[in-house]
Amino acid sequence: MGSLFRSETMCLAQLFLQSGTAYECLSALGEKGLVQFRDLNQNVSSFQRKFVGEVKRCEELERILVYLVQEINRADIPLPEGEASPPAPPLKQVLEMQEQLQKLEVELKEVTKNKEKLRKNLLELIEYTHMLRVTKTFVKRNVEFEPTYEEFPSLENESLLDYSCMQRLGAKLGFVSGLINQGKVEAFEKMLWRACKGYTIVSYAELDESLEDPETGEVIKWYVFLISFWGEQIGHKVKKICDCYHCHVYPYPNTAEERREIQEGLNTRIQDLYTVLHKTEDYLRQVLCKAAESVYSRVIQVKKMKAIYHMLNMCSFDVTNKCLIAEVWCPEADLQDLRQALEEGSRESGATIPSFMNIIPTKETPPTRIRTNKFTEGFQNIVDAYGVGSYREVNPALFTIITFPFLFAVMFGDFGHGFVMFLFALLLVLNENHPRLNQSQEIMRMFFNGRYILLLMGLFSVYTGLIYNDCFSKSVNLFGSRWNVSAMYSSSHTPTEHKEMVLWNDSVVRHNRILQLDPSIPGVFQGPYPLGIDPIWNLATNRLTFLNSFKMKMSVILGIIHMTFGVILGIFNHLHFKKKFNIYLVSIPELLFMLCIFGYLIFMIFYKWLVFSAETSRVAPSILIEFINMFLFPASKTNGLYTGQEHVQRVLLVVTALSVPVLFLGKPLFLLWLHNGRSCLGVNRRGYTLVRKDSEEEVSLLGNQDVEEGNNRMEDGCRGVTCEEFNFGEILMTQVIHSIEYCLGCISNTASYLRLWALSLAHAQLSDVLWAMLMRVGLRVDTTYGVLLLLPVIALFAVLTIFILLIMEGLSAFLHAIRLHWVEFQNKFYIGAGTKFVPFSFSLLSSKFSNDNSAA
Amino acid sequence: MLEGAELYFNVDHGYLEGLVRGCKASLLTQQDYINLVQCETLEDLKIHLQTTDYGNFLANQTNPLTVSKIDTEMRKRLCGEFEYFRNHSLEPLSTFLTYMTCSYMIDNVILLMNGALQKKSVKEILVKCHPLGRFTEMEAVNIAETPSDLFNAILVETPLAPFFQDCMSENALDELNIELLRNKLYKSYLETFYKFCKNHGDVTAEVMCPILEFEADRRAFIITLNSFGTELSKEDRETLYPAFGKLYPEGLRLLAQAEDFDQMKTIADHYEVYKPLFEAIGGNGGKTLEDVFYEREVQMNVLAFNRQFHYGVFYAYVKLKEQEMRNIVWIAECISQRHRTKINSYIPIL
Repeated sequence: MGSLFRSETMCLAQLFLQSGTAYECLSALGEKGLVQFRDLNQNVSSFQRKFVGEVKRCEELERILVYLVQEINRADIPLPEGEASPPAPPLKQVLEMQEQLQKLEVELKEVTKNKEKLRKNLLELIEYTHMLRVTKTFVKRNVEFEPTYEEFPSLENESLLDYSCMQRLGAKLGFVSGLINQGKVEAFEKMLWRACKGYTIVSYAELDESLEDPETGEVIKWYVFLISFWGEQIGHKVKKICDCYHCHVYPYPNTAEERREIQEGLNTRIQDLYTVLHKTEDYLRQVLCKAAESVYSRVIQVKKMKAIYHMLNMCSFDVTNKCLIAEVWCPEADLQDLRQALEEGSRESGATIPSFMNIIPTKETPPTRIRTNKFTEGFQNIVDAYGVGSYREVNPALFTIITFPFLFAVMFGDFGHGFVMFLFALLLVLNENHPRLNQSQEIMRMFFNGRYILLLMGLFSVYTGLIYNDCFSKSVNLFGSRWNVSAMYSSSHTPTEHKEMVLWNDSVVRHNRILQLDPSIPGVFQGPYPLGIDPIWNLATNRLTFLNSFKMKMSVILGIIHMTFGVILGIFNHLHFKKKFNIYLVSIPELLFMLCIFGYLIFMIFYKWLVFSAETSRVAPSILIEFINMFLFPASKTNGLYTGQEHVQRVLLVVTALSVPVLFLGKPLFLLWLHNGRSCLGVNRRGYTLVRKDSEEEVSLLGNQDVEEGNNRMEDGCRGVTCEEFNFGEILMTQVIHSIEYCLGCISNTASYLRLWALSLAHAQLSDVLWAMLMRVGLRVDTTYGVLLLLPVIALFAVLTIFILLIMEGLSAFLHAIRLHWVEFQNKFYIGAGTKFVPFSFSLLSSKFSNDNSAA
Repeated sequence: MLEGAELYFNVDHGYLEGLVRGCKASLLTQQDYINLVQCETLEDLKIHLQTTDYGNFLANQTNPLTVSKIDTEMRKRLCGEFEYFRNHSLEPLSTFLTYMTCSYMIDNVILLMNGALQKKSVKEILVKCHPLGRFTEMEAVNIAETPSDLFNAILVETPLAPFFQDCMSENALDELNIELLRNKLYKSYLETFYKFCKNHGDVTAEVMCPILEFEADRRAFIITLNSFGTELSKEDRETLYPAFGKLYPEGLRLLAQAEDFDQMKTIADHYEVYKPLFEAIGGNGGKTLEDVFYEREVQMNVLAFNRQFHYGVFYAYVKLKEQEMRNIVWIAECISQRHRTKINSYIPIL
């Protein structure tokens, strides 16, 4: 608990890493995740840093690994994910690993290239056979002309009238045939027509089966075409156009014989290619399977290695280049572990000089480190979402653990709903190790991460539900109502009592729609219900009036207690930061202001509850009027709550009025006085008293070299903190703004807590409406059909309950509870201007393959 | 456009505008350039670019890294972004984006034709083509022998077709004719684009028209400068100038008569926009006319982002990104050729 109350004490440590052992030391540190490194080379751009070469090497390895994973995925080989994460590879192994991977890559590339080539070849051959098969039909159409065409060149001298024009052109009939992508056919034909001015005959037919494109690997529909043309010129054009549309052109056989020969040749070649391709694929698969075994650990190892070099890039070299100097933030509690990790690292690398560390004093603000476990993590996240706490500031998360679910439950008070929520959260908590929950998608994940919050919210809602006596908007009569209706009848009382009291008789009961119980009649009200609200109120028509009054007062009381608690926590902050004057000049006036007005309001509420009973209730004064009169001093005196009330209220008002100027001017004037009179004293140092005097002595124990370094660092440390200049106007301004905000805030924040009442009312009414509109209708139907109807009605009721009342209402209550914490509670004491402690830890690296896959 | 187009703008184009503004925010900053200039090798450059929004776009490139690899990867990235805009755009933004690609298409067509003239293979030149101006028919460009051939056979169905109306001729495509063709196409393209923006009205017109006017004037200046000492006649020269812009019509007539750089400068001095530009030439760092124009262009494009609800941001973004790519390539070239004295003469994007 102590660790949750304040963030841990941090110290700035200098690590002297012998250059031979730095890598191993960092590897050991990364496994433990103890320290946060500071970038000592901020003004050195990323490519000028020391270990940029190594980082590049890691990137090269990563590239190869990504390629491997890609290939493995393409081959549909399962990637085994190792459970344990392997440590970063020792430097000696890195070269070996790199060599191995590079060899593997070259081999793979070659094999896949071969495979691709073979496949492409095969596809082309298949295309060719298809083309031959399809064009056969074209040729049949032309078959009668065929001999004439073929003999045409030899017949040049004979005058054939029919072909005289061709002869004149000196042309030869040519064919271009091939396959074309389905989508391009139309444009292709048009272009052919335009470019060749119609001197071509194009015939084409669709191929019935889809083939893979050898270049892109897509499976698409193809058309087989055959272009017949005359003349060389046009032939060139046709070929160019074919190129332009990426047609696959294959030689066209001139005779049927040739065609048959080609076809046969193709068939045997295809057969051969199939076997070769099969063998290649087998081999490739073997290689990939072998690679897949180690690829997971390799990926993790390379990631770790890269992380280490990134950290090493943040270190500076000492003058002799013999050792690296790193500056780290480390929680004081972990220093021992840090030393141990350094020793381990040095031992592992077998260095002669061990790496060691040295704590250096600093005035800089350390990062905020709050250790959480799976239970407190969710609550800490709520607070961190507002702002990470300043260093060593009181951490509201500790109190949030109870107040958050409680305030939520006040708004969500329903026994039944709370129980359902509790069960849901319990289910999540019990199955928290289930892998599917950890990797579920966003919304489920949100619930999962907040499972302990949900659990407590459910539990507290059960409690407030019991207090409100609400279970799905119905009251439960656990202990028996303490109101007795029969006592209202005249027959149960002595005649003397009849005269003073309004009692019931048969005619009254019969003629009045609404009957009023009078608690002042003996026997009617037998004392309070043992727990929460009496179930009889569920039947009363003035139930809302009663509950509203109760819930409103309750929210004001809770709110003021909550805020006062916040102001008191502020005192702890001032105590810790050694700024006692803040207690007297800020916190106490604040407290007085709050308690004298609103504390007194609470007092009045309680006083009225305790002093006035059923008999005297008619003379009880209104708290509202009394409270307003406290400020207005009206001429006409009311009788008041108690004697001497007027004087008490005057005193309280005076105290309030006096505390305001103190709040406004106290702190600035005090600081001014300090500055003028005793400015040399350390009291006015705002922020942190971190200087550890003994650590300066430690520095002097080091060797000359190191002392120099240490001094340099100290200078750096001093440089880091800008000297605070005393600026009275600024301090006055801040304090005035703060005070105005506080004084107005006291009123508006108190009003803000009324949302507790409003939301709880809304929730109760909504569930009441749901019951009245659904269940009551379902239950009213007579017994024979009622059962049939009741089933869907209950189902609908359950669905609406879950979606509207649990999820929607729950969400709104959750948001309002968050607001009450962030705004109303935390602004009383919480600064939240810190930076989070982000340790250098391998566990923060994503160890999932999914990332690689998406990147690939 | 309807009155109050601002009201409906976001319905159709709000997403893309937001996106393009986000992309603009990822342009390299002054600090990035300072760091880039310090790089010793291309590897350093790559590492630094990784820390910017470029991310690890070079991660899958095998060593050794070359300038052209960086250039292609950057172009690919820009092209990817642009394709995304284009695929998600609605009319009239999609037409606007098509207009934007036209200039790249013209460049590609001319490049291919020049290549065909020098008997280079199509594949070799295809690599050099700008990916934004890619279209299927362009590979067949070398079939054509005359501009009208080119139009009739190949480009009639592409967005470039309307720009051909002025340049249908039966002249053989030699080097000069190709250049003339390019300029005529550009003239026609700029005029059409200008008309489109003007007709669109609204903020788009207010933003785009000055940018396009500047573009037209720049072309006029550059054409004039390049025609000094060539066989191009003054009348022909005048036909190449886009018929709008600040210089139109008097300035263009004067430019057509100009005979050397000094005369051009006197003409520019009449215009308050161009006077300071011409005065800046040769100033600090030996700026060329081109540099000065680039700087001015960057300035105008950056200003385009100050207005909302218009298409100019897309144009400006692509131009700024192009400038950035030119800068990176310049720096990379300087690094790889160990020619560091001129490394600082990139055009900073404000």
